[in-house]
Amino acid sequence: MSPSAIVVMITSIIALWGVAGGALIVSMRREERKLALLHSQGDFEPYSPRAFRDLERWLLQHPDSEHAPEIREWQQAQRQSLQHNPQCFYDWSSATDIREAP
Amino acid sequence: MTTTISREQWGSRFGYLMAVVGAMVGAGNIWRMPYVTGENGGGAFLIAYFLLLYLIAVPGLMGETSLGRYTRQGLVGTFRKLYGNNRLVGLGLVILIFNIVLMSYYSSIVGWSIYYAFHALIGTFTQTDFGTAALWQAFSGNTALNVGMHSVAMLLVTGILLFGIKGGIERLAKWMMPILTIALIAIAIRGITLPGAMAGLEFSFSPNWAYLARGETWLAALGQALFSTGLGWGIALTYGSYLGRNDDIPLGGGIFTAIGNTSFGLLAIFAVFPIVFAFGISPSSGAELAFVALANAFGSMTGGYLWALLFFMGFFFANLTTAIAITEVGVTTYREERNTSRTKAVLTICGIIWLLGIPSAMNADILGYLDFVVGNWGLPLSTFIIMIAIGWKFDAHRLRVLSLNRGADLYVPRVWELVIRYQIPTIMLGIMIYFLYTNLGQTPWKTVSGLVILTLMIPLCMWIMNRRPETPHVATSTGGQSS
Repeated sequence: MSPSAIVVMITSIIALWGVAGGALIVSMRREERKLALLHSQGDFEPYSPRAFRDLERWLLQHPDSEHAPEIREWQQAQRQSLQHNPQCFYDWSSATDIREAP
Repeated sequence: MTTTISREQWGSRFGYLMAVVGAMVGAGNIWRMPYVTGENGGGAFLIAYFLLLYLIAVPGLMGETSLGRYTRQGLVGTFRKLYGNNRLVGLGLVILIFNIVLMSYYSSIVGWSIYYAFHALIGTFTQTDFGTAALWQAFSGNTALNVGMHSVAMLLVTGILLFGIKGGIERLAKWMMPILTIALIAIAIRGITLPGAMAGLEFSFSPNWAYLARGETWLAALGQALFSTGLGWGIALTYGSYLGRNDDIPLGGGIFTAIGNTSFGLLAIFAVFPIVFAFGISPSSGAELAFVALANAFGSMTGGYLWALLFFMGFFFANLTTAIAITEVGVTTYREERNTSRTKAVLTICGIIWLLGIPSAMNADILGYLDFVVGNWGLPLSTFIIMIAIGWKFDAHRLRVLSLNRGADLYVPRVWELVIRYQIPTIMLGIMIYFLYTNLGQTPWKTVSGLVILTLMIPLCMWIMNRRPETPHVATSTGGQSS
């Protein structure tokens, strides 16, 4: 085989099998963590700090939208989960301001 | 009036991932991708393909799965939730009809793979003086046998779907996908150790960078990225509707599904082309490659019985998991729309598909015509409709904030919304126009008749859904949550 074909072959293996295998392993491990949290404390916060910021920003931008009550409900559920659960699923170390917000 | 029906959920993360990747890995990954890669500049094609996979298929699958999980409804139910109970719900019916038509002829392909898996099992390919071309010709020319195999395929699909999402689809995929992987790896190892096999890898991977400047290369890559991942056909939406509220979508339903599906294509390159080149067979694709060239090569190999069995069983598994997914789109929708039992929904949808599939099983020209219409316009139109529904009607921003990033293992940034709203719909329109332009000169009758059927189908479906009396709103509940 030519060197260029070998390079393409190895790159393809890494880009496909590597990414797919990595995604499968990470996905399974994160799911195990979710199940452990569900088992130990009943639930966990569904949104990451960045995702929760998006949720709050959406509410600020669309306070009177017909969908606002639904999003407010989910925002409230996230806050309650953060307040009541001793363990979090996502890393909140750099977002303590949101976590501790009333 | 609101009726609440219980809704199944996937039993495990692994089960969902195997089911969804099994849905996407089909005949195209095994008998098309190796050839398309080699014919379009090898490494150059792969680069174009990766780019399009990440730019279109991954974000598109994230959106479709996320919408399904949010609405917890099948195709028509999702459209009703988005558009209200009016004629635009007919767009969901259009996609459903494409799925049923697609399955009506895909069932014949599943039937072919069952027939060849059976012959591999009884050792036909390793018999002395056996002619694979003669077997394929005899099989293709035998109408009764083709209808019989189509019937066997539909019976299998019916039987599996009767066991439900968890007990049928998931249980099957959890076994079949690992077996398919092992089978292809084993064949690949055997293949690359054959004398002359490296020429096959050279054909597939040798990069011809000039191909990157060719429009055809990008179009071939786009076709493979779209049709191989099944984006916008309602499969990801339907499977996503059985996910839990806090399950991840971006990593599993998006990246793993698209990249995992393509990984099987790469595995097929290793499994197929070294053998093809080692035996001096002219590289090709489709039925001729699998049922004539490879069957012939397996017969000449040491331990050919085992290799033929592994290949044709794996090929059958790949086709069956896809067939199940396509059919489930109809089953889930019918069950919800008619508020009926799963058994009745499975028997009705499978019965309809079986009946509609008989002409394709009897006549390869009908199969080819349906594939031409559905592949060229039906599926791109489905993807266009679904992406418009996500991006504009539901609002891509709201879906990302509310559902896509919920429980996500990977944060999806705002650029995703632009891809869903502008990029994918524009590309889909471009594909349909391009196919129209290229096919009108070459096959005018097929093109015009196909377009007439499609043009009439959309208003007809909208009229049907508009006339339908308001059905009881079916809310679905799982684990105490309802939507």
